[in-house]
Amino acid sequence: MNKLLEYFETDWEAMTRADWTGLIIVLVLTLLMVALYVWIFKPSNRDKFEQYRDFVNSDEDVKREVGHGQTK
Amino acid sequence: MTNILFKSKEVEKVVGSSSENPNYNFGIVKAFAVCAVVYLVVGALVGDIIAWQLSFPALNLNEYLSFGRLRPLHTNAVIFAFGGCTLMATAFYVVQRTCAVPLWSNRMAWFTFWGWNLVIVAAVISFPMGWTQGKEYAELEWPVDILIAVVWLSYMFNFIMTIANRKTSHIYVANWFFLGMMVMITYLHVVNSLAIPVTMTKSYSIFSGVHDAMIQWWWGHNAVGFFLTAGFLGIMYYFIPKQADLPIFSYRLSVLHFWALMFGYVWLGAHHLQYTALPDWAGSLGAAVSIAMIIPSWGGAINGLMTLSGAWSKLRDDYVLRFLVVSLAFYAMSTFEGPVMSLKTVNALSHYTDWTIGHVHSGALGWVAMVSIGAIYHLVTRLWKTDIHSVPLVNSHFWIHTIGTVIYICAMWVSGIMQGLMWRATDDYGNLVYSFAETVVAMHPYYVLRSVGGLLVLLGALIMLYNIVMTIRGAGQPKAVAAQAARA
Repeated sequence: MNKLLEYFETDWEAMTRADWTGLIIVLVLTLLMVALYVWIFKPSNRDKFEQYRDFVNSDEDVKREVGHGQTK
Repeated sequence: MTNILFKSKEVEKVVGSSSENPNYNFGIVKAFAVCAVVYLVVGALVGDIIAWQLSFPALNLNEYLSFGRLRPLHTNAVIFAFGGCTLMATAFYVVQRTCAVPLWSNRMAWFTFWGWNLVIVAAVISFPMGWTQGKEYAELEWPVDILIAVVWLSYMFNFIMTIANRKTSHIYVANWFFLGMMVMITYLHVVNSLAIPVTMTKSYSIFSGVHDAMIQWWWGHNAVGFFLTAGFLGIMYYFIPKQADLPIFSYRLSVLHFWALMFGYVWLGAHHLQYTALPDWAGSLGAAVSIAMIIPSWGGAINGLMTLSGAWSKLRDDYVLRFLVVSLAFYAMSTFEGPVMSLKTVNALSHYTDWTIGHVHSGALGWVAMVSIGAIYHLVTRLWKTDIHSVPLVNSHFWIHTIGTVIYICAMWVSGIMQGLMWRATDDYGNLVYSFAETVVAMHPYYVLRSVGGLLVLLGALIMLYNIVMTIRGAGQPKAVAAQAARA
């Protein structure tokens, strides 16, 4: 356990501006990724995404897209 | 061939479209598709020549045709000539079909076509002459780099404006992948190519030392991640459901795949510089994100494969689907292998060995080439409104290409792992067991085997070129028209 703690030990005093910038970007992206997973897999969002599953097979018939959520 | 290209400049009406009948520009798609097949042959030919040169160094006839000068010609031909033309053909096709509008500017599309081909001509001249920046996958000198930036921006701007003018409210996920690639490649190319010109054919990077190395591999891995992955995933997300005539397995998974790829891929470059002057933490970060990328990559591969769920029998008859599905198997395999190789323990054995070459070609020949070939076969029959000249030739191409790829990558895996093990072997006193020359001798049979694998890939490409030329020549003839009418 001690060895594990030693492995993760960080000298915060030695952190440069570049280190802090990188750390913040990594943390922000991690949070965005978590938010993305939640957004995508939230059951209530299922139909919102899955209505486009067959989108390419209707690209020869624009009319078919009326009511399918795709036509302006 | 010239006639085909000029004739294809015509703007065509789409058969079977709605009453709005958008005047899609498929001429540009035809031109890029034909060029892609020609460049596949050229790239595979140069690749196989340099493979034989490694097997038999006497084949390095003079400095202009030596391995060192032809190798960048091979990589640029397959990545930017073949891959680039495939991406431009498919992106211009998909964006029109899925947005239900023609390209924003036909003139700009043709500027992109001729500009991109001019870049390729410049590569064919400059590499044998030895004019190079010495940066992998970015060897072209500064005047050509500027031309690439201008042409690439014209491609991206036209694509964006076409999307902006779309008649559908939704932007299909394939377009996201294409656009992601275009945006990322723009700034990767510009930053990595920043250089101080000395003459028209010589410049020096503005970066130096470890910064230069990091920028180079930030570009190098993202050329793989965005040019050779994101763009071709755009192809996969359009052509697999289209060819199978089935809905994509999960649209949610495709959205997740896209964002995870965009967030994650840019961090991987550092894993190319393990055990170098690069700070240790940067290499660890590169490896950690590489492992994390298995999730979206496999999610995407599963998404494509599961689209055929319940309809696997289509593979028995559908020669296009066969290419597309096998490409996904290679995609899954190489996106697992790459992260494993990025781990420091594995990297200590694999780096600088032929294992890396095997890995790259499982992605290039297995994933990129096969998904492209499938998409081009799909496009040719639809764009020229005819059946393929010979289905048996396509089937031969499939098996020859697959067997050639497997021979190639297996030879390099065995050669590379053996090479790494021989380099690190020490006796009881800590002395190296093998000299470097002994490792070269041990690798020779595998180099010959690799050349044979490459020869098969080249043969397959030649079959494809012949088949496509014959298909195009036969289009519009009474027999083809009757067949089309009967099918309709």
